[in-house]
Amino acid sequence: MQSIGGPIGKWLLTIVYGREMDIETVKERAGPREFSAKDDMPEEYRKAATRMIQFHANSEIMGAYLERPFIRQAPSLERKLAFSAKTQDELGHGQLLYRAAESLGIKTRDEMLDELANGEGKFLNCFHYPMESWVETPMIAFFVDGAAMRRQATLKNTSWEPYAHAMDKVCFEEGFHVKHGEAILHELMTGSKKEQEMTQEAFEKWWPRIIQFFGPTDKQSTHHGFASEVGLKQMSNDELRRAFLNSYVPKAEKYGLEIPDTPRITKNDDGTYEVNEDDLDWDEFFQIAKNEYEPGVGQIDGRKKAQEAVAWVRESMDKHEQGIYGGGESPQAAD
Amino acid sequence: MAAAKQLPGPQDLSDDEREALEALLFSLADDEFVIAERYTEWQVRAPTIESDISVANIAQDELGHARLYYDLLEDFGYEEPDLIWERDASEWRHSTLCELPFDEGDWADYVVRSFLFDEAEYIRLQALEGSSYPRLADRIEKILAEETYHREHARSWLERLCEDDESRARMQDAVDRLMPHALTLFAPTDEDIEARIDDLGIRTENLLTMREEWLDEVVPRLESVGLHVEEAQLPEQYDVHHADFDLPDELGRDQSHTDAWFDLYDEFTKSYRELGRHEAAKIMKDPDDE
Amino acid sequence: MIWEVFRQKKAGDYHTHCGNVHAPDRDMALLFAEVQHGRRMPTNSLWVVPKDEIGEVDTEDVAFGGTTDKSYRWAMTYNFEAAAEEVAASESEQSEAEQQRRSVVEGDD
Repeated sequence: MQSIGGPIGKWLLTIVYGREMDIETVKERAGPREFSAKDDMPEEYRKAATRMIQFHANSEIMGAYLERPFIRQAPSLERKLAFSAKTQDELGHGQLLYRAAESLGIKTRDEMLDELANGEGKFLNCFHYPMESWVETPMIAFFVDGAAMRRQATLKNTSWEPYAHAMDKVCFEEGFHVKHGEAILHELMTGSKKEQEMTQEAFEKWWPRIIQFFGPTDKQSTHHGFASEVGLKQMSNDELRRAFLNSYVPKAEKYGLEIPDTPRITKNDDGTYEVNEDDLDWDEFFQIAKNEYEPGVGQIDGRKKAQEAVAWVRESMDKHEQGIYGGGESPQAAD
Repeated sequence: MAAAKQLPGPQDLSDDEREALEALLFSLADDEFVIAERYTEWQVRAPTIESDISVANIAQDELGHARLYYDLLEDFGYEEPDLIWERDASEWRHSTLCELPFDEGDWADYVVRSFLFDEAEYIRLQALEGSSYPRLADRIEKILAEETYHREHARSWLERLCEDDESRARMQDAVDRLMPHALTLFAPTDEDIEARIDDLGIRTENLLTMREEWLDEVVPRLESVGLHVEEAQLPEQYDVHHADFDLPDELGRDQSHTDAWFDLYDEFTKSYRELGRHEAAKIMKDPDDE
Repeated sequence: MIWEVFRQKKAGDYHTHCGNVHAPDRDMALLFAEVQHGRRMPTNSLWVVPKDEIGEVDTEDVAFGGTTDKSYRWAMTYNFEAAAEEVAASESEQSEAEQQRRSVVEGDD
């Protein structure tokens, strides 16, 4: 970090922390908001954190990209306002998260956005499936956002402080998103018979994808172990999935949605729910995880085209910036 | 213009008064709604994340302003579906500047369009602050307060994108293409009705005067950043005969529109039609109860 | 040259503004800030930033969050029974923030 640079800053850091923190120390110290840009974190930590935060940031952007057609297609003026505001918030979350990822010193935001455009950047499974109709919007805006919110709430205690700070603001805003989605679902399920049927159909299409949001069981997940040992990740996929089902199965039923027969979901004696994971299409899930699922590729490419079409504006602004601040890293006095 | 006497509330207006108000309110509301609809096309497609968030905000402001104007039309017994969702596309009154599509990546079009629009908005709103129709005048202050950001945003981009030759060439293209359409912001809905709007003091400056004020503002500003405005001989102060521009075939205000408008209308009414809706959900408080 | 100083009380907190120092460069500014602003108040970290590089916009200039109704941005506009606890927490934060924002924007009229 610039502000503690210079010989004195370096000297202080060496006194306090030694040079690069070793993994064992990281694991010992890994509490909430424990590490920040002034800590000389080992590359393994910085890479793992970058992977996780970049995924999160990419998901915000691709979720917004998925929902953007419904700003236009919203069936009332106030819903249109809400959809625009929600999409705006998501870009805002992307902004916070890319900055938190940048602060790890592995990749710049431009590099991460280029990776997203090139199909190398990974993001949530649900945002690979395009939406055709308004009745699908609460599947994202209520169920997926509700699921995301649960995960995000735990990330306020992640060990990378800039990530936790981003989560403070993200979680603050997210309540609007979920309730906006819930309001749309409520409106559809108390609307005409046709609307109710269309919504049920959309629910059946999206339900397995929503459950897969939390990924495979922890024994199949490759990155989970390290990320939780160093305090980046706070709850396991299994815990999060169970918590989601416990709260959203009753909600879906309350609004009159019928839970599809597959995947099979069983209710335990203590009232909690368990999903039979063998009923889910993991081939498709892992195809998506590699950015190879055809409709998702269309989403990625569509966004790429849009990003490239305005490259000239960024270049022009870069020239302008250099005219004021020169080519150096830190801004000089503007006058 | 001498201060006209105040008009009564919506239920006590004469037919002529109501007709004049409706024509004005539809122009205002439709402009804001349709240009916001176009602005939202930049969401998740703007040059940077920060600019994306800003353009979204401006779109929401304009939609919010449309909402306030449509709400005043609801005083006359209309409901939102009559005003937006079920109103025939051929009845809309927005300027054609608002409806033109953006070519992919043509951020210069966005900047120039919002510059031309926001400067006009500012002048138009000032002429409504002292409106003889209190329900309209009361809403202008809040709307005007948000336009300050819009103007500053557009001007800032305008200046910066004219610094290098390549971007300035794109800006020039946008000026050439948009200028005639921007002039339709000051086109009459109908000559008689416009005269009545002025006579009744619903608006305190007439269209031609506002147009000259606007030209006086935008042309020197465009020229100062190295852009050229075709046919612009700056008028002597408010002498309309010096500004000799060709208007496009479709004016918008008189309900003639480009093909792009009808496509846009089909897109934004799609869900409403698909769902077979007859009403539009309200989620906010009535503007009178805020 | 004047440097603005931001102090973080303990690890994980935000850096918030706490004062400034005169210093000829960044390293000296850090040395001075450390003593002037960090010697007694609980301090985990300090940042220094050249004053001239700080831009400001305030409620004299603008109405943050706009002047027309933007209630569609707030969870409490969507009137449903309190949702899951993470939504409820966000909603109460939003409710408080919007009340404060409105009192600033409207108090300024």
